[in-house]
Amino acid sequence: MNKIYFDHAATTPISNDVLNHMFQILEKNYGNPSSIHQLGQSSRALVENSRRQIAKAINCSSKEIFFTSGGTESNNITIKNLLQTGDHLITSSIEHPAILKPAEDLAQNGIEVSYVKPNKYGIIEPQKIEKEIKKNTKLISIMMVNNEMGTINPLEEISLIKNSVLLHTDAVQAFGKIPLDVSKMGIDLLSLSGHKFYGPKGVGILYKKNNISLKGLITGGGQEQEICAGTENVAGISSIGLAAENIVKDLKKNRSYLTELTNYLIKSLKNHDINFVINGKNRVPGLLNISFPEMLGQNLMMNLDLHGIAVSYGAACSSGTPKPPRVLLETGIESNLAKSSIRISLGKDNTKKEIDYFINSIVSILSKELKNV
Amino acid sequence: MSEKVLVAMSGGVDSSVSLLRIIEAGYDPVGVTMKLWSNESINSNNEQDNSCCGIEEINGAKLVCNQFGVPHYTIDFTKVFKEEVVNNFSSEYFAGRTPNPCIRCNSYVKWDAFIEQADKMNIKYIATGHYAIVEKKNNNYYLKKGIDPKKDQSYVLWGIPKETLKRTIFPIGDLTKEQVRKIAKENDLATATSPESMEICFVTDNNYKNFLSNYNPRKMSSIKEGDIIENEKKVGTHPGYINYTVGQRKGLNLSNPEPRYVSKIDSKNNTITVGKKHSIYKKECYVDQLNLLVNDLQLPIKINAKIRYNTFGGIATLSREKDKYKLSFDEPQLAITPGQSAVFYDNDTVLGGGIIELFK
Repeated sequence: MNKIYFDHAATTPISNDVLNHMFQILEKNYGNPSSIHQLGQSSRALVENSRRQIAKAINCSSKEIFFTSGGTESNNITIKNLLQTGDHLITSSIEHPAILKPAEDLAQNGIEVSYVKPNKYGIIEPQKIEKEIKKNTKLISIMMVNNEMGTINPLEEISLIKNSVLLHTDAVQAFGKIPLDVSKMGIDLLSLSGHKFYGPKGVGILYKKNNISLKGLITGGGQEQEICAGTENVAGISSIGLAAENIVKDLKKNRSYLTELTNYLIKSLKNHDINFVINGKNRVPGLLNISFPEMLGQNLMMNLDLHGIAVSYGAACSSGTPKPPRVLLETGIESNLAKSSIRISLGKDNTKKEIDYFINSIVSILSKELKNV
Repeated sequence: MSEKVLVAMSGGVDSSVSLLRIIEAGYDPVGVTMKLWSNESINSNNEQDNSCCGIEEINGAKLVCNQFGVPHYTIDFTKVFKEEVVNNFSSEYFAGRTPNPCIRCNSYVKWDAFIEQADKMNIKYIATGHYAIVEKKNNNYYLKKGIDPKKDQSYVLWGIPKETLKRTIFPIGDLTKEQVRKIAKENDLATATSPESMEICFVTDNNYKNFLSNYNPRKMSSIKEGDIIENEKKVGTHPGYINYTVGQRKGLNLSNPEPRYVSKIDSKNNTITVGKKHSIYKKECYVDQLNLLVNDLQLPIKINAKIRYNTFGGIATLSREKDKYKLSFDEPQLAITPGQSAVFYDNDTVLGGGIIELFK
């Protein structure tokens, strides 16, 4: 099993206090939040308290926060249920499949979709979006931070040029890594996922400005104002409230620590004369997409895994068959360089000692010539 | 530190027990499932993330690896598989021949690609769940039949590069299928009851005509009815030569008291030739694309030649005739089929093999 975890962009370990909190709730607060008795009431309180924690964390009103099953559902609700035949959607070519797939579905239902390409640094430029805006443009959906490269898109600038068009952002990779203020940034809708900030899997958030009417994908008992019907995942919901509060509280500390680790990693690579290229500019701290031209990313990833280090390569499907990272190709980098990339995503609990071990492993893997048997 | 072995994990019971035996032998295994094909590959270069063919098999392999704490990776070999195996499968059928894609897969995809993968991971040995044995004798490595005569797969391995034998381990070659199933059950392997795969992996329902229609619709639609010929006279009409293979009796729609068999398929002239049973017994054929697994084979040589999977084969002389290799059997053989493989044995040892070509 892996001794060193450098794949926090895929998912984060659940933090200890959140885990303990979750256990407590699973054990004690089994009431249905919709039940009228006191057990129900205490569960309702947990859900509503979490809603307030999340609202505070991204600076909006608690009635604008809805709990879903994850970032993918939040994205799907927005993309699929906000647009109607004849509407126009602007998104980017480097979005997560949780945006690209529903957008593809829409295109088949008579909704126009425009895909803006990133510049060579992996960033979506507001001018390019502005050019695409038409009379029937209803929604712009641009990820806040790209999951493959960690590049930060200028959401605030995009909000300034959008006029009356609604702005959605998949902020799954951004929250907890950069300051996130929906009011200040002019964001109308936003998706988050609990397991990307040391919370549990299976819980997500959709922020939706109060004046936007939107229905969910799943109808039923009317929970979450029909945005996500079904008995609430009380333990999960309550736990991501705590996780969100923690990550915002520690934002400054984590950012400076992850910046330090990132710089240390880059410096160490240079000190060892390793040939590498960092893909993308203006990145969140801790997330590094690096090409090592000597080796295919897939092989480097597997070799590192055998050294006990977890990193990622490309976008894995559920069978674990990796494909070359499409996002890198969109920035126009050479296909060979894209294929020789790996993604290293550090977390708050990683250490310099772990980076030393990682560097030693990289050196040993890259220098090992095949010993012909 | 124990020696690493890259174990090919298909998600079936054979490769699962192979993994177990590799562990028991004290090696340090790494499991790999080779993704060879996805049905979406038929129509386009569709690079969708969800094109996970055989997800159930891949997950079976992952479960077994996980049971023993063995790392597992899925590696995409779909491109080389399509180029080397599926394209050949299609063109061979359209040329009126009967290909064996599993042999081509072993010869051109599995061993080459797998050894290359092992190299990249700095791993010395590879292991697969084939029923065959590699034996070391005087610093030479020989490919031999598996001990279960019903399951022996040495026939499909004749084309692997000789130099890879010394790096190849067949952990279940000394077991019978019953023993393998028993071991899987006793160890509660997740794949213990997985069904036997008897079909060509990329052809659904064993319907190769259906597959060819999807894979190369243009070529398929150009195949028209033609003449059935016996003794140089037209005796009937066939709906398309693609429906036949040498030795076939069914589907001829001829009304003879004595059954007729396909003895020749001529794709160029769109004819098939039929005859009574004796007409499909032949004593000689050419062998193309020869691959030898032993050093210094002095020709001519008497060998035992197997001309299809699961037949005993017959004594034959392998000789060289100008630039061709020729097999001359002591006794006439039933339905020597172009496109199939002829594999040469010395008792249990595979000397080599090649692809059968008929005399002109």
